[in-house]
Amino acid sequence: MSEMEAARRRAESREKRYRRLLALYPKDHQREHAEEMVGVLLAAAGDAQVRAPKPVAWARRFGQHTADCADLVAGALRIRGRMVLNRIRRAPWFSRTVRDQRWSDALAVVSVVAPLLLLVAALAEVHIPQAAASSVTGHPQWQLTGALGLADLPLAAGAPAVAVLAFLRLRRTAGMAALAVAIGQVVSGILRSSPAFTRYESPAVAFTVLLACTAAAALLLSPGPDRGLALLTPGGTALVGAGALILGGFSVGGAMWFGAASPPSFGFAGFRGEVAGLPGDLLIAGVLVTVAAACLRAPVSRRVLALLAIPVIPYAVLWQEKLAGDLFGSPNGGASTLIPSSVVLLYLLPLILAGAIVGGTSLARRRATGRARQVGSTTTPAGPRSAVSA
Amino acid sequence: MQEPTFLILTALAARAQHGYGIMTDVARISDGRVRLRAGTLYAALDRLKADGLVTSDKDEVVDGRLRRYYRITDEGAEELAAEVDRLRANAAVAASRLGLAGGTA
Repeated sequence: MSEMEAARRRAESREKRYRRLLALYPKDHQREHAEEMVGVLLAAAGDAQVRAPKPVAWARRFGQHTADCADLVAGALRIRGRMVLNRIRRAPWFSRTVRDQRWSDALAVVSVVAPLLLLVAALAEVHIPQAAASSVTGHPQWQLTGALGLADLPLAAGAPAVAVLAFLRLRRTAGMAALAVAIGQVVSGILRSSPAFTRYESPAVAFTVLLACTAAAALLLSPGPDRGLALLTPGGTALVGAGALILGGFSVGGAMWFGAASPPSFGFAGFRGEVAGLPGDLLIAGVLVTVAAACLRAPVSRRVLALLAIPVIPYAVLWQEKLAGDLFGSPNGGASTLIPSSVVLLYLLPLILAGAIVGGTSLARRRATGRARQVGSTTTPAGPRSAVSA
Repeated sequence: MQEPTFLILTALAARAQHGYGIMTDVARISDGRVRLRAGTLYAALDRLKADGLVTSDKDEVVDGRLRRYYRITDEGAEELAAEVDRLRANAAVAASRLGLAGGTA
């Protein structure tokens, strides 16, 4: 009798916990399914009970209950994530921008390229591309390092995870992982900076945050890496791969990815952080210009360029700091910059660019459909012009 | 099509079932290999309903608890049939390459 009473109490407390977790689900879903889900959960829990010695039975019940609770939370996240995506898909700006085949294709290409760039950024955390580059240039400063702190974890572990998930064609999971990398970078930025938030002035943090966001948007909103790979020509793929490695290898100074709050000091005195001085600057400039020139030739790659410009802006900010350091740096290592890095420059400029892409295509599409309606012609309306096309 | 989706549609192919019925049936079909939990099941049902492959059928109350039945739609049945054809074709190729007689799995 007392055993029955104990079982009843257990079921009651379990039901309470399930209901608390069900509150994580969207209201509509709760109204529609909460009652039946509680029924299913309790039925499954009752079904799993087997006769066993007390500690074994308790351990089994605990394991079962914990797994059910974790699964409920995961289910809620999945449903909410899907709702957010659907809302974005239904939004007018989305249908005007991403539904445009050329933008959708450009996002698909970016869904291949951005995870790759993110991976190079993560490899640069342990100095792999830098060590490879300095072995070419003969600068001995860069050596492989395994000294990663907890704060490096979001990028060091997250970026390979995004790349693997994208490779496995788990597009949505990869997209969510990229979003988690961006959030992780922001959080680790808060934790590592003192006084708080100063690290946001670091172009390196801005670069990885924006790159992870771009990768997330491309993975979540585009048809995915399959379409992207189909569009990437072998030449284009080679260009992207080599470009990413060179940018990673000749990345600017010791504080490139880790990002010091103040601009790193460069100068002729000794190239300390840099892999190579002016030749490195010229190589980076060369890579950026070659990629840009190659991209300007086709409508889709022009759009890829516009999308990738969003995360590359902070990189360019950092690069011009190094260039200024190498050109005008004082012999005692003091830095002088052409344009001082600031939060506005690092985040507002990319945001304005993203806004221009969305707004520009949206406006162009509306105008094109309006014109087509006025003329009343049956020919296909002129496609939207890229907001940032050449 | 992912395996849980395939198994849920298979569980509903012959008759309408309620949530717990689907869970036990999926375990039976997969020989105990796939055990869906409630969170996974309802997230999958939510997506399948949104895609029009599954719809809710009727409600009943048993022991004071609500039971909602789900059934496969025509579109869902078509999708399942297409997946069966694809799996059968793959299995046939695999069997023939393994040198099994006939080559039709």
